[in-house]
Formats: sequence, C-alpha cells, structure tokens
Amino acid sequence: MTGYVLRRALQAAAVLLAITAAAFGLFYAAPSDPALIACGPKCDTGQVEAVRHSMGLDQPLAGQYADYLRGLVAGRVIDDVDGTPIDCAAPCLGYSYTLHQPVLDAIGDRFPVTLSLAGGALAVIVVLGVGVGFAAALRRGTATDRLLSGFTLVGASVQIYFLGYALQYLLVYTTDLFPVPGYTPFGDGPGAWAAGLLLPWLVLGFVNAAVFARLARSQMLETMHEGYVRTARGKGMSALRAHLKYTGRGAAAPLAQLLGLEAGALFGGAFITETVFGLGGVGKLAVDAVVQNDLPTVVGTVLLAAFFVVLFVALADLVVAWLDPRVRLA
Amino acid sequence: MLRVRDLTVSFTGRGRSVTAVHGLSFDLARGEVLGLVGESGSGKSTVGLAAMGLHDAARTTVGGSVTVGGAEVVGAPDSAVRALRGARIAMVFQDALAALSPFHSVLDQLAEAYRLHHRAAGRAEARERARAMLDRVGIPAARARDYPHQFSGGMRQRVMIAIALVNAPDVLIADEPTTALDARVQRQVLSLLAELREESGTAVLLITHDVGVVAATCDRMLVMRAGHLVESGPTGKLLTQAEHPYTRALIGAAPTRETVPGTRLPTVESAEASAVDPGAADPGGAPAGPAPAGRVRAGAPGTLVGTAGAVRAMAPFAATAEGGATGSGAPGLAGAVSGGAARDSAGRESAAPAAPAAPAAPAAPVKPPAGGPLAEVVDLHVSFGGRRPLLGRRSEPVHAVRGVSLRVGEGETLGLVGESGSGKSTTARVLAGLRKPTSGSVRFDGRDIARAAVDTRLRRELSREVQLVFQDPYASLNPRRTVEESVTLPLRVHTDLDAAARRDRAAGLLEQVGMSADHLDRYPHEFSGGQRQRVGIARALALRPRLIIADEPVSALDVSVQAQVLNLLMDLRDELGLSLLFVSHDLAVVRHFCDRVAVMRAGTVVESGPRDEVFDDPKAAYTRELLAAGM
Repeated sequence: MTGYVLRRALQAAAVLLAITAAAFGLFYAAPSDPALIACGPKCDTGQVEAVRHSMGLDQPLAGQYADYLRGLVAGRVIDDVDGTPIDCAAPCLGYSYTLHQPVLDAIGDRFPVTLSLAGGALAVIVVLGVGVGFAAALRRGTATDRLLSGFTLVGASVQIYFLGYALQYLLVYTTDLFPVPGYTPFGDGPGAWAAGLLLPWLVLGFVNAAVFARLARSQMLETMHEGYVRTARGKGMSALRAHLKYTGRGAAAPLAQLLGLEAGALFGGAFITETVFGLGGVGKLAVDAVVQNDLPTVVGTVLLAAFFVVLFVALADLVVAWLDPRVRLA
Repeated sequence: MLRVRDLTVSFTGRGRSVTAVHGLSFDLARGEVLGLVGESGSGKSTVGLAAMGLHDAARTTVGGSVTVGGAEVVGAPDSAVRALRGARIAMVFQDALAALSPFHSVLDQLAEAYRLHHRAAGRAEARERARAMLDRVGIPAARARDYPHQFSGGMRQRVMIAIALVNAPDVLIADEPTTALDARVQRQVLSLLAELREESGTAVLLITHDVGVVAATCDRMLVMRAGHLVESGPTGKLLTQAEHPYTRALIGAAPTRETVPGTRLPTVESAEASAVDPGAADPGGAPAGPAPAGRVRAGAPGTLVGTAGAVRAMAPFAATAEGGATGSGAPGLAGAVSGGAARDSAGRESAAPAAPAAPAAPAAPVKPPAGGPLAEVVDLHVSFGGRRPLLGRRSEPVHAVRGVSLRVGEGETLGLVGESGSGKSTTARVLAGLRKPTSGSVRFDGRDIARAAVDTRLRRELSREVQLVFQDPYASLNPRRTVEESVTLPLRVHTDLDAAARRDRAAGLLEQVGMSADHLDRYPHEFSGGQRQRVGIARALALRPRLIIADEPVSALDVSVQAQVLNLLMDLRDELGLSLLFVSHDLAVVRHFCDRVAVMRAGTVVESGPRDEVFDDPKAAYTRELLAAGM
C-alpha cells in the first residue's frame, strides 16, 4: 500500500512536470509580447524593454523554465512591472503582471467558488446519475426505462450555455422559482451559499449526470445477471436487496473511474457554467488569462487542473481496489 | 419433499416464445438422490431454477405445480417463495467462482445465508454458525476471511455447498456441481455431498450431463431431451437396459475404460436413425445394418447403430459390479461393431453390414510409430511473469513447464494428459510455435523451431505443417466471418490459389469433415457446437498439415457431439495419415483415441508410454490416482 502510494505520487509528479513543460513551451514560445501587454498601451520602447527585463522575458526559455521550477519547489522573489520585489513563497506558480498578484493567490481567491460549484455538481451527478441509471436498469424495457433513458439522452446532448440561460430565464427571471444565482461565501451563511449555487449545481450536474446515468444503467444491466446475484436470491434475499448489495457493488468500479475523471475536470474549473451564472471561479480565471496573454496564470491554472485530474484518478483507483478485493494495486 | 407436476416453462422475448420444459412431472422423496440428465439445451437447468422460483417473471411463464414440503412455488407471492428459498430448498450452482460474490469473504457470504432465515440471530451468532459449517465442509477457520478468488475450484464448490446447506434445507438442487472440476476433486466434492446428505436427510436433485456422476451418486434418474422427459427409472436399470434409444446413446456416447480403443462411438444421431428404422429400433439390439445416411450426412460418423454403445455395460459406473467381460453386463445387446468394420463404413454409404463383434474384444493393437519423431521437445522449460515493476519487488516467475521431453512420431497420436495447471497446454503451445520456451530444444521434422514464436517467417513456415484445433469452437471462430472465410484464410496466407480454387478446396474440406458446400456462406452462430468444431477441424486441415495439435478439442462439447467429433478425427487420421498431439484431461477419451500417452503433473511428465502400458499397468502413483478418480 505504501509502495503503491509512493509509486502513484512519483507518477503524478512526472505527469505534472510534463504538463508544465508543455504549457510553458506552448505559451512562452508563442509570438506575442506579454511585456507589451503588461506595460500597457502608453509605454514607450524603453519602458517595454525594462518591463521585459523585470519579467525575465529576455532570458533564454530554458532559463525561465528552470526559474519557474525552482520557484515551484523553493519559492522565489519576482520583480513586478515597476521593479518592486514580490516575495513568492513555494509552491510559487509565478506572478501575474495583469492581476498584480502571485498566481497562487489569484487561484486561491477564486478557488472557493470552484470548490463549491464542483462539489455540489458532483453530488448531483452521483445522486441523479446512479439513481436514474439504476432505476432504468431495474425497470428495463418498460415505459419508465424509456422515459429515463430519453431524459439522459436530452442531458447528454444539450449544451450548458443553452440549458443554463434557458433555465435562468424561466426559473429565475420569469417565475421567480429559484433565487438569483451567485456566489456567497459559505462563511457568510450556508443558506445563502446554497441558494445562490442551486441552479448552477443542477445545470452542471444534470448535463454531466446524463453520461454517468447511461453508464450506470448499462453496467447494472451487465451485472444483474451475474451468478452471485442469483446466488443471493437463492439464499432468500429479495430481488431489490440483492441488486442493491450485489449488483450495485459489481457495477460500481467503472462508475468510480468515470467519477474520478469528472471530479478532476470539475475541480479544474467549469468555465462555461461560471460564465453563464456570473461566478468568478478558476475556469473564468484561466480563460481570462489566455485572452489577456497572462502567461504565469495560464500555466498555473493548467497545472492546477492537471493536478486535480491526477489526484482524483488515483483516488478512484483506490476506491476500486477497496470495492473489489480481486484488484491488486500496482 | 419435492413434487413437480406438469411443469412447463416458456421464455418469451421479442414476440416469440420458446418452451424449454414441456409438462414434466416427478417426485423427490426425503433423503433420495435423483439424477436429472440431459445434454445442453435439454431444459434440465430450467427445471432447477423453476423449483427455486428463480425465473424472471417478466420474461418467463411457468405453468404446472412445484411444491416443496407441501408449499407451492409456482405462482406464489414473492415473499412466500423467499421464505422457502435458502431455508427449505437451496441450490448449488455450477461455476462456484461466478456464483460466489467476489466482493465478500466466504464467511460473510455464509453468515448472510444464515441470517436471512434467522432474523433474530446477531452477527456474532451467524458468524459462529458459518465457521462451524465451513469447518464441516473442510475449509480451515484460518481461511474463513478469504475471498472466493483465493480458493481452489474444489474449495469454492465446498463453500457453495456450505452456503446451500447452512439452513439444513429439505431439498438441495445441485446444478452441475462438479462439471468444471478435475476428476479427483470431482470425486471429493461428490463424496462430501453424499456425507452431508446422509447426515441431514436432505433430498438431492442432481442436474448433470455426466452419466458417470449420476451412476456414482443417484438412486433414480430422469433423462430429458429438448424439454421432454425421455425416460426415468432406477439408475442401475437405466444404465444397463434403457428402453429408449436416446438414453442408450447418451449412456454409450462417452468412452470409458471398457470401450475398445479406436472403435467408433455411438451417437445420438445414430440412435435416432436406428429408432426410425424399424429393424434397427429393436431395443434388444440385434445387429443391424448401417442406418440410412441421408440426414446424417452432416454427421457422417453417425452411420452406425446406437445399440453398440450399450455394450459398454455400465460396469465402471456401477462401481460394484466390475464385470470383466464388457458384454456380460448387457445380455442381448450384441450390436457391437468391430472397429475395422466401423472404419470402412465411415463416410462411405456402401458400408459392409456390421459384423457382430465378440464382446470385450481385446484392445485394438497399437500402431507402431511409422518413422522417427516428427515433433519433439527435449528438456523444455517455460516460465511466466517475473517482470519487475517500477518500484517494489520483482514477482516470482511461475514455472509452468519444468524439464519436459516428449516426441510425436510420424503417423502417431500422442495423448497429453493432466489436470488443469499441469502445463499440458503450455507444452502444446510451444510445439505449435506459439510460445517461446525459456530453455530446452523444440524440433519439428529435425528443424529447430524454438524461435518460431518470435520469428514471423519461421512461424509462417511452421504453420504449413502444424495446425491447431482449439477447445472452444464458439470462441475460436470469428463470428463475423463466414465459414468460407475462416476455412480459406490459411490458403490465402500460404498458397497462391485464386478465390475460386480456394472455395473449391474449402467445399472439399467441409465434405471431408461431414458437412456440405452449402455451409460455406453461413456464419458460425448458425451452427451447433459440434458443427463448429468440424469447421475448426476443416480449417486446420486446409493446408494438409502433417501434425495437428488439438487442445481439448471435445471437452466443451456434449457427450454425443463429442462422440461425433472423435469419430471424425479417427476417420481423418486414418485417411490422411496425420500425426496428432491430443491434449486432454479426460482419460477415457485419451485411452480411446491415442497410441501413446504422456501424463503431466505440475510441469513435469510423470509417466509416458504406449497406451495399454500406461492404462493397464501404470507405474507412477499419480497416474494410478488419476485412473482411480477418472474412470
């Protein structure tokens, strides 16, 4: 077990290193001038040159990358555009010349929004996906099954920006059934926090739950004819209980794997949902950074997203091993 | 205890309905063991599930009546049937690995079975009961917390039996409880079942395709075919003087120690042919001429009369009456046909009239090997695994084969026998050039072929001479390819015949294996298991190889189909002068089919020699053990 965790940690580090290299190479080698943007339209050539120097952009690419990695591990001091030294503690993801704050702080400011949004959406995915999938499987071939399966097909094919705006218009502005979406910190009152995120949770959850529900249904159908389910019924267990205890267990592993991937993706930011509902999360930060050529923030958010995917996939593997004693962690 | 009246089970789906059981009636008394025998598709397992009330009501219609100790199962509300299931009537399923939950320890699964019918019992009490029951079936307490995949096949089946019997049911339904097990383990499980039955007085319905198992364990037996009851009666009577030709064919189809090696085996088709031919249908089994061959064409081997099989006098089954002379146990069943006459009649409809053969004819003489060794392995070692992961310890390699030396002579059939895990299939794969040996030499026709598995050119050249017939005819034919495509593939790879010539050749091959050119454009799913295996054999013959390696070619087939395929292989061997390496766990089949035999255990050859020497005078203790358990 310790060996497994160690191996996975090493693997994760290797993946993340490769991701930083790729993001770094792609964005820093791009033919644009962050110094010009950071300095602003009123700068003259000399000023831009000074800014470029203070941002370290006149260094060779390999040197910049080495600085970046060093900062990640040990922290470093970075000069702002005007030359003010900024202390960026480890793990230093660089300094955003656009936002004038260390990237980690920029992410930290917005992360509670992403955490709240992703956490709630995941809960909706699990409850709705597993519930609909299992209900459809148990009633296979009936009208219920067709209705639920049709419902998931709608979910899988509809776009968040369409569903989000449509529901917002119908449920919030026209009928007042839902509170206005927005983010209130959890500390300011759980009620307000949940009320503001309710619609985003449902929309993001529903769209992602659709795929999940379809997988849950097919996994369940595949498992419900397994010998051990029949054995359980042969012991005198009711069909429903046998399906909950045995079919559910047998169907769970692929669902856990998919959930791991989805969780990783959601925690990396949900740009479209954030935009539709006006939430300032990590997704919006990342897209803004790309648009504004804020390279340190771009690399930082890419790294964060990759980190979460790697983390949740590893967690999913642990869950699978816990679910099925035949699985050996290797 | 169990009373079945007019049981009819139909499956409905996609607008059509298939009736699997037609109006079956029988009784099972307290403490009795009743064998329910039939081939796959006969509806025997459906009967077991109906008795448990386990059919899916949405897709199955169950009619008639099944009562367990007076309580009706058919049409009863689910809660009432649930109270019976696991408490009054329990079931042991065929494949224990699939039937046990992989997610729970055997102790928990057993305790659950107890608690479901003892609501008042606490966890601790249920575990206590479960431990006692595990102990009773011979699972040590130290392993109670282990999971099913950590046990051997025999132990898993013991766990399954413990689960079924933990609530001391009145009726136990055992559906093929020993089918996937090696002969020795099979015997252990059956005797455990017998012991427990005597202790508890549980009545047992034993569902199986294996007449031998029924003979060893059952008081009475029912024979089912296509959902209908063919015949029923006391086991001893049915084994020796069955009324119905189907019963006789089923009983006679599997070779036993008493069968004369190399003779044709009776098949169900031949039994039917004899049934429609009034002269031959005489249950007395008077010698009869070859059956009309028209519809049997697909089953060319079936041109003999079924009664021949009955001659095998069920002595080995009856365990007690070990009649020396084969025929003596079956007075009046003199329809045996000598091996020679049988071969002559094969394929040719102008067969000579069957000559009445002397009962218990001495074994056909073993052919002397015609030449030097055609294929040979010397001091073969094969190990698997042992890869080192990125971090952590290197896993121990598994030594599947350790120091095996074998040779197959020109025109000879070598039987390679052993239990599962003995390394026999691995050895066969090395000889086929599909696996690289870890060490040792492999030669075919004097040429070193050890590198065939990693050298594509050598492998291609070798495959002109060495072909394979696989165990599972369902898995070894591509379901998306027509028979023609499957059979002509080797010709496409190895010859420059054009499409028309290939098709001609394929048609000829199909006729050679008892099928017809009409079958060329069909897909595997349109054929029965026996026909598919014929297609597999035709494919293997396409390049006119010199050596055929057949890895358990008949073990996935029903006994009557097995008889057809064995008959076919014997005909082809004689016709084409093939050499064969025949891998099997079934000693009776090997004895019937092979000239020489090598017995493998745990990666080594414990004994090898001419057939009669190995079977009549086994030197190794292990061989004797196998013979005692298996035949």
